[in-house]
Amino acid sequence: MISVDSPVVLGGVNVMTSDDGGLSAEQVTELAMDKIMKISETAPPAIRDQAAVFRSNIQKVVYHYIELARREERATIARRMDKLGNSEMADLVRRI
Amino acid sequence: MAITQAMCTSFKVELLTGTHDFTNSTGDTFKLAMYAIGGGGKSSTTATLGASTTAFTTTGEVASSGTYATGGGTLTNVTPTSSGTTAFTDFADLSFTTATITARGALIYNSTDSNKAVAALDFGADKTSTAGTFTIQFPTADASNAIIRIA
Repeated sequence: MISVDSPVVLGGVNVMTSDDGGLSAEQVTELAMDKIMKISETAPPAIRDQAAVFRSNIQKVVYHYIELARREERATIARRMDKLGNSEMADLVRRI
Repeated sequence: MAITQAMCTSFKVELLTGTHDFTNSTGDTFKLAMYAIGGGGKSSTTATLGASTTAFTTTGEVASSGTYATGGGTLTNVTPTSSGTTAFTDFADLSFTTATITARGALIYNSTDSNKAVAALDFGADKTSTAGTFTIQFPTADASNAIIRIA
Protein backbone atom coordinates (compact mmCIF):
# COMPACT_ATOMS: atom_id res chain seq x y z
CA MET A 1 0.00 0.00 0.00
CA ILE A 2 1.27 3.48 -0.83
CA SER A 3 0.19 6.28 1.51
CA VAL A 4 1.06 9.97 1.20
CA ASP A 5 0.64 12.42 4.08
CA SER A 6 -0.35 15.63 2.32
CA PRO A 7 -2.78 17.66 4.41
CA VAL A 8 -4.85 20.55 3.12
CA VAL A 9 -4.27 23.32 5.66
CA LEU A 10 -6.26 26.45 6.44
CA GLY A 11 -4.49 29.58 7.71
CA GLY A 12 -5.99 32.11 10.10
CA VAL A 13 -7.17 35.60 9.19
CA ASN A 14 -6.70 38.80 11.16
CA VAL A 15 -9.65 41.16 11.62
CA MET A 16 -9.24 44.90 12.24
CA THR A 17 -12.19 47.19 12.84
CA SER A 18 -12.82 50.85 13.57
CA ASP A 19 -15.69 53.02 14.81
CA ASP A 20 -16.86 56.32 13.42
CA GLY A 21 -14.44 56.47 10.50
CA GLY A 22 -11.61 54.54 8.93
CA LEU A 23 -8.70 52.67 10.45
CA SER A 24 -6.11 54.75 12.32
CA ALA A 25 -2.50 55.07 11.21
CA GLU A 26 -1.55 52.76 14.10
CA GLN A 27 -3.97 50.08 12.88
CA VAL A 28 -2.79 50.33 9.27
CA THR A 29 0.80 50.12 10.52
CA GLU A 30 -0.07 46.97 12.45
CA LEU A 31 -1.62 45.41 9.33
CA ALA A 32 1.48 46.29 7.32
CA MET A 33 3.84 44.90 9.96
CA ASP A 34 1.96 41.59 10.01
CA LYS A 35 2.83 41.23 6.33
CA ILE A 36 6.38 42.56 6.55
CA MET A 37 7.87 40.64 9.44
CA LYS A 38 7.03 37.79 11.78
CA ILE A 39 9.24 36.70 14.67
CA SER A 40 9.36 32.98 15.29
CA GLU A 41 8.40 31.96 18.81
CA THR A 42 10.92 29.15 18.58
CA ALA A 43 13.88 31.36 17.62
CA PRO A 44 16.79 31.51 20.11
CA PRO A 45 16.16 34.32 22.69
CA ALA A 46 19.09 36.47 21.52
CA ILE A 47 17.94 36.38 17.90
CA ARG A 48 14.33 36.93 18.96
CA ASP A 49 15.29 40.04 20.98
CA GLN A 50 17.34 41.42 18.11
CA ALA A 51 14.49 40.77 15.68
CA ALA A 52 12.03 42.51 18.03
CA VAL A 53 14.20 45.65 18.11
CA PHE A 54 14.51 45.59 14.32
CA ARG A 55 10.74 45.12 13.98
CA SER A 56 10.11 48.06 16.30
CA ASN A 57 12.38 50.30 14.20
CA ILE A 58 10.66 49.27 10.97
CA GLN A 59 7.27 49.87 12.62
CA LYS A 60 8.23 53.45 13.50
CA VAL A 61 9.29 54.15 9.91
CA VAL A 62 6.12 52.60 8.44
CA TYR A 63 3.94 54.56 10.89
CA HIS A 64 5.71 57.83 10.06
CA TYR A 65 5.17 57.45 6.32
CA ILE A 66 1.55 56.30 6.69
CA GLU A 67 0.86 59.41 8.78
CA LEU A 68 2.67 61.54 6.20
CA ALA A 69 0.66 59.99 3.34
CA ARG A 70 -2.62 60.63 5.17
CA ARG A 71 -1.65 64.25 5.90
CA GLU A 72 -0.51 64.91 2.33
CA GLU A 73 -3.70 63.33 0.93
CA ARG A 74 -5.80 65.58 3.18
CA ALA A 75 -3.78 68.59 2.05
CA THR A 76 -4.47 67.73 -1.60
CA ILE A 77 -8.20 67.23 -0.94
CA ALA A 78 -8.41 70.48 1.04
CA ARG A 79 -6.64 72.40 -1.73
CA ARG A 80 -9.03 70.99 -4.35
CA MET A 81 -11.99 72.03 -2.18
CA ASP A 82 -10.51 75.49 -1.72
CA LYS A 83 -10.13 75.87 -5.48
CA LEU A 84 -13.79 74.90 -5.95
CA GLY A 85 -14.86 77.54 -3.42
CA ASN A 86 -15.58 75.19 -0.52
CA SER A 87 -13.24 76.83 1.97
CA GLU A 88 -15.23 75.79 5.08
CA MET A 89 -15.15 72.15 4.02
CA ALA A 90 -11.47 72.53 3.21
CA ASP A 91 -10.83 73.78 6.75
CA LEU A 92 -12.72 70.81 8.18
CA VAL A 93 -10.59 68.38 6.17
CA ARG A 94 -7.38 70.16 7.26
CA ARG A 95 -8.37 69.82 10.94
CA ILE A 96 -9.01 66.03 10.82
CA MET B 1 -24.96 26.69 16.73
CA ALA B 2 -21.43 27.85 16.18
CA ILE B 3 -18.79 28.80 13.72
CA THR B 4 -15.83 26.44 13.62
CA GLN B 5 -12.72 27.26 11.63
CA ALA B 6 -12.36 24.53 9.03
CA MET B 7 -11.60 23.71 5.45
CA CYS B 8 -14.94 22.45 4.15
CA THR B 9 -14.86 18.71 3.51
CA SER B 10 -16.80 19.13 0.25
CA PHE B 11 -14.06 21.52 -0.89
CA LYS B 12 -11.41 18.84 -0.33
CA VAL B 13 -13.40 16.49 -2.54
CA GLU B 14 -13.83 19.24 -5.13
CA LEU B 15 -10.06 19.81 -5.18
CA LEU B 16 -9.72 16.23 -6.40
CA THR B 17 -12.33 16.76 -9.09
CA GLY B 18 -10.75 20.00 -10.30
CA THR B 19 -13.80 22.10 -9.46
CA HIS B 20 -12.14 25.30 -8.27
CA ASP B 21 -9.79 27.61 -10.15
CA PHE B 22 -7.95 30.14 -8.00
CA THR B 23 -6.05 31.73 -10.89
CA ASN B 24 -5.98 35.52 -10.74
CA SER B 25 -8.23 37.30 -13.29
CA THR B 26 -9.14 34.25 -15.38
CA GLY B 27 -10.10 31.92 -12.50
CA ASP B 28 -13.36 31.55 -10.59
CA THR B 29 -14.85 34.34 -8.50
CA PHE B 30 -14.58 33.74 -4.77
CA LYS B 31 -16.51 35.71 -2.20
CA LEU B 32 -16.31 36.20 1.54
CA ALA B 33 -19.57 36.50 3.46
CA MET B 34 -19.71 37.38 7.16
CA TYR B 35 -21.79 35.68 9.81
CA ALA B 36 -23.02 36.25 13.34
CA ILE B 37 -23.99 33.96 16.17
CA GLY B 38 -26.48 34.45 18.99
CA GLY B 39 -29.21 35.65 16.66
CA GLY B 40 -27.05 38.50 15.38
CA GLY B 41 -27.56 37.64 11.72
CA LYS B 42 -30.18 39.33 9.57
CA SER B 43 -33.74 38.45 10.62
CA SER B 44 -32.25 37.34 13.99
CA THR B 45 -30.70 34.22 12.48
CA THR B 46 -27.65 32.38 13.80
CA ALA B 47 -24.88 30.86 11.72
CA THR B 48 -23.64 27.29 11.86
CA LEU B 49 -20.48 26.95 9.80
CA GLY B 50 -17.73 24.36 9.76
CA ALA B 51 -16.27 21.39 7.95
CA SER B 52 -19.72 20.12 6.98
CA THR B 53 -20.75 23.37 5.24
CA THR B 54 -21.13 22.69 1.54
CA ALA B 55 -22.39 26.01 0.12
CA PHE B 56 -23.09 29.66 0.88
CA THR B 57 -26.07 30.16 3.15
CA THR B 58 -28.00 33.28 4.10
CA THR B 59 -28.75 31.89 7.58
CA GLY B 60 -26.82 33.90 10.11
CA GLU B 61 -25.29 36.23 7.54
CA VAL B 62 -24.94 39.81 8.75
CA ALA B 63 -27.15 42.44 7.16
CA SER B 64 -25.96 44.84 4.47
CA SER B 65 -24.24 47.91 5.90
CA GLY B 66 -21.93 50.49 4.34
CA THR B 67 -20.05 48.83 1.50
CA TYR B 68 -20.94 45.33 2.78
CA ALA B 69 -23.81 43.85 0.77
CA THR B 70 -25.40 40.52 1.64
CA GLY B 71 -23.69 37.75 -0.26
CA GLY B 72 -20.37 39.21 0.80
CA GLY B 73 -17.45 40.93 -0.84
CA THR B 74 -15.58 39.69 -3.88
CA LEU B 75 -12.09 38.42 -3.15
CA THR B 76 -9.11 39.06 -5.39
CA ASN B 77 -7.41 35.73 -6.10
CA VAL B 78 -3.67 35.37 -5.98
CA THR B 79 -2.60 32.70 -8.47
CA PRO B 80 -1.52 29.53 -6.64
CA THR B 81 2.18 28.87 -6.38
CA SER B 82 4.52 26.66 -4.37
CA SER B 83 7.49 26.85 -2.06
CA GLY B 84 9.45 23.71 -1.39
CA THR B 85 6.88 20.92 -1.37
CA THR B 86 3.94 23.08 -0.27
CA ALA B 87 1.46 24.58 -2.73
CA PHE B 88 -0.60 27.55 -1.58
CA THR B 89 -2.94 30.31 -2.64
CA ASP B 90 -3.88 33.65 -1.14
CA PHE B 91 -6.41 36.49 -1.44
CA ALA B 92 -5.92 40.23 -1.19
CA ASP B 93 -7.14 41.78 2.06
CA LEU B 94 -10.78 42.80 2.03
CA SER B 95 -12.27 45.95 3.61
CA PHE B 96 -15.81 47.19 4.07
CA THR B 97 -16.15 50.88 4.89
CA THR B 98 -18.79 52.97 6.68
CA ALA B 99 -20.14 49.68 7.97
CA THR B 100 -21.90 48.81 11.20
CA ILE B 101 -21.26 45.08 11.54
CA THR B 102 -20.83 42.55 14.31
CA ALA B 103 -19.49 39.27 12.94
CA ARG B 104 -18.10 36.13 14.53
CA GLY B 105 -16.84 34.48 11.37
CA ALA B 106 -16.95 34.23 7.63
CA LEU B 107 -17.37 31.80 4.75
CA ILE B 108 -15.24 31.79 1.62
CA TYR B 109 -17.20 30.38 -1.30
CA ASN B 110 -17.01 30.02 -5.06
CA SER B 111 -19.71 32.21 -6.59
CA THR B 112 -18.82 31.04 -10.11
CA ASP B 113 -19.67 27.44 -9.26
CA SER B 114 -23.02 27.15 -7.44
CA ASN B 115 -21.70 29.04 -4.38
CA LYS B 116 -19.73 25.98 -3.28
CA ALA B 117 -18.09 26.43 0.12
CA VAL B 118 -14.32 26.62 0.47
CA ALA B 119 -13.57 27.40 4.10
CA ALA B 120 -15.27 28.57 7.29
CA LEU B 121 -13.34 31.17 9.27
CA ASP B 122 -13.76 31.73 12.99
CA PHE B 123 -12.72 35.21 14.16
CA GLY B 124 -12.33 33.86 17.72
CA ALA B 125 -14.66 36.52 19.14
CA ASP B 126 -17.30 38.93 17.92
CA LYS B 127 -15.67 41.69 15.89
CA THR B 128 -17.56 44.96 15.59
CA SER B 129 -17.28 48.08 13.48
CA THR B 130 -19.66 50.98 14.07
CA ALA B 131 -19.94 53.31 11.10
CA GLY B 132 -16.34 52.37 10.45
CA THR B 133 -14.05 50.02 8.57
CA PHE B 134 -14.15 46.23 8.86
CA THR B 135 -10.96 44.73 7.44
CA ILE B 136 -10.14 41.06 6.94
CA GLN B 137 -6.40 40.56 6.53
CA PHE B 138 -5.23 37.29 5.01
CA PRO B 139 -2.04 35.72 6.32
CA THR B 140 1.30 36.07 4.58
CA ALA B 141 1.32 34.08 1.35
CA ASP B 142 4.00 31.55 2.12
CA ALA B 143 4.31 27.83 2.76
CA SER B 144 3.87 28.24 6.53
CA ASN B 145 1.06 30.78 6.76
CA ALA B 146 -1.01 31.11 3.55
CA ILE B 147 -4.76 30.81 3.84
CA ILE B 148 -5.02 27.62 1.76
CA ARG B 149 -2.07 25.24 1.70
CA ILE B 150 -1.47 21.72 0.49
CA ALA B 151 1.55 20.57 2.42
